[in-house]
Amino acid sequence: MFKYVLGRLGAMLLTLFLVMTLSFWVIRLMPMTIFENPEVSPEVQRRLEDRMHLHEPMIVQYYYFIEGIVTRGDFGTSVKIRPGLAVFDIIRERIPPTMLLNFFSLFISIPLGIIAGTIAALRRNTWADNVISFLIVIFISVPSFVFASLLQYVFAFAVPLFPTLYNAQAPTVWAAFHSMVLPIVALSLNPIATIARYLRGELIETLSSEYMLLARTKGLTQKEATWRHAFRNSLVPIANTIIPLITGIMGGSLVIEKIFAVPGEGGLLVDSILGGDHFLTVALLIFYSFISLVTIFVVDVSYGIIDPRIRIGGGK
Amino acid sequence: MDNDVILSVRDLRVSFRAYGGIVQAVRGVSFDLHRGETLAIVGESGSGKSVSTKAVMGILPPNAFIEEGSILYAGEDLTKADESRMHEIRGHRIGLVFQDPLSALNPIMKVGKQIMEVLVRRGMNKKDARSRALELMRDVGIPEPERRIEQYPFQFSGGMRQRIVIAIALAGDPEILICDEPTTALDVTVQAKILELINTIKEQRNLSVIFITHDLGVVAQMADRIAVMYAGKIVETGTAEEIFFEPAHPYTWALLSSMPDLETRERLTAIPGAPPNMIAPPAGDAFAARNRYALAIDFKREPPLFRLSETHLAATWLLHPSAPKVEMPRELKERIRRMKEAGSRA
Repeated sequence: MFKYVLGRLGAMLLTLFLVMTLSFWVIRLMPMTIFENPEVSPEVQRRLEDRMHLHEPMIVQYYYFIEGIVTRGDFGTSVKIRPGLAVFDIIRERIPPTMLLNFFSLFISIPLGIIAGTIAALRRNTWADNVISFLIVIFISVPSFVFASLLQYVFAFAVPLFPTLYNAQAPTVWAAFHSMVLPIVALSLNPIATIARYLRGELIETLSSEYMLLARTKGLTQKEATWRHAFRNSLVPIANTIIPLITGIMGGSLVIEKIFAVPGEGGLLVDSILGGDHFLTVALLIFYSFISLVTIFVVDVSYGIIDPRIRIGGGK
Repeated sequence: MDNDVILSVRDLRVSFRAYGGIVQAVRGVSFDLHRGETLAIVGESGSGKSVSTKAVMGILPPNAFIEEGSILYAGEDLTKADESRMHEIRGHRIGLVFQDPLSALNPIMKVGKQIMEVLVRRGMNKKDARSRALELMRDVGIPEPERRIEQYPFQFSGGMRQRIVIAIALAGDPEILICDEPTTALDVTVQAKILELINTIKEQRNLSVIFITHDLGVVAQMADRIAVMYAGKIVETGTAEEIFFEPAHPYTWALLSSMPDLETRERLTAIPGAPPNMIAPPAGDAFAARNRYALAIDFKREPPLFRLSETHLAATWLLHPSAPKVEMPRELKERIRRMKEAGSRA
């Protein structure tokens, strides 16, 4: 197990380094004008550009970029969105609402998806399964921003249960959370449907497996056999779908944050790309990759806990 | 003699609901299992042999149903037993050994736990269940059970996995052991050892065994009596000697001829064609279309079981008094002579 975790950790660091390199080159090779403010004298401009090593060849700039991150945790300085501020601080400031949105959405999607998928599989071909399967198709095929607008209309305008937008100045935690409900729901529908769909298929397959039959020949009731043998086995492949799910949620939150005016990383990334703040964009890409990699790491490790074949690593 | 019958299946009909219609998998099967004997049910894929035993265990898939017939175990009709009664029967009275030990074991549960599950269900505490499981693993010939009990199925070889499945089947102390092609998924060298094991535990525990296979070669070392199934019916039944040395049904001839024989260089005789579509089974003898000895009546009327001896029955019109005299193929006769010789030498 230890070796497995170590291996995953190494792979994670390597991936992170590759992402850093790739996003640096792709973004920074794009043309960039830093100063559009005519009041800044050419003399000052020149000095600032020198400090950012902008006159050096790209490969040297890349060296400074990596060196800054590794030795000082310095990801650069924002030049457009919040000129002069370290991008690391800008990102850090915006973490709470993004985390709230993404993690809540993940935390409700997994259990809800598992419940819906289990019901659909156990009540296969009944009305319950048909309703769930129908909703699954809707939630997977319609993009989340459509639901976002729909939720805003229904639950904020027609029946004003929730505020239309996220309230960043909310006086209490509860009020902040209350204004976060609609974005969380909008972001969760697709992941819930994805998990439910996979689990339904997986569970139906394991329910008809030979070891379920063996479990029943042992004298276990159908219920016991389902719980002890089918359910846990079905979760193994589900753990794998959680990785694309997390990246999906984070991608979805870029748009959702904009729609609900959530002051998070997603909106910041969109702004920094549109504004041409390359230092900020690169840092945000790294931030997003880092979060994905951490969650992938957690999933991989828990995968090993669920499935002994991976933990022990003997293979077949 | 009849007191000795432990399981009696009468006129069992099992069908499946499928897209194309109703598949008649088992069409009126009757057999008796006597205490302490091994009954082999032989037939090719789709002949209904596995379905019959699944019906006995009450583990038919949801789209299958028993149309009629009875399965009498100790005077009780299992086709009428409710689910909770079947829980008692399964595992405790009747154990089942599966064909493919890889898919029969839960891949992510330790084998020890899988054996202990049966015992704990029977009200044993964990500690006793564990020592009993170790004992069972020793009984089925697993070396170092203390270490192996903590391992997962994927850490076992095919033969060892099958031993675990047998241990699970034995854990409930059954009287009847149903082996559904237990060696088909195994290497030939391992096959012999598993067969030996089944024979040993049968002796030790005085089990009655139903042994399902498509391989007559395997049956020879195991069976006291043999039932040959084709297209959902038993076409011939008799003692092992009767089936091997005096086969009467053309299908049994064909099966015996298709057995590989290492002593001669004669070509293997394949059975032409494929089993019939069981949604609409043919009228008359279902084997007629593939049978080169088929008579005109075979296509029209189903043959009854003709009695050849106290124990030997065969369903073929060839045995009718007014049927033309047809002998089994010459190669087969030759082969049976050799088998007899080998048998008397042994």
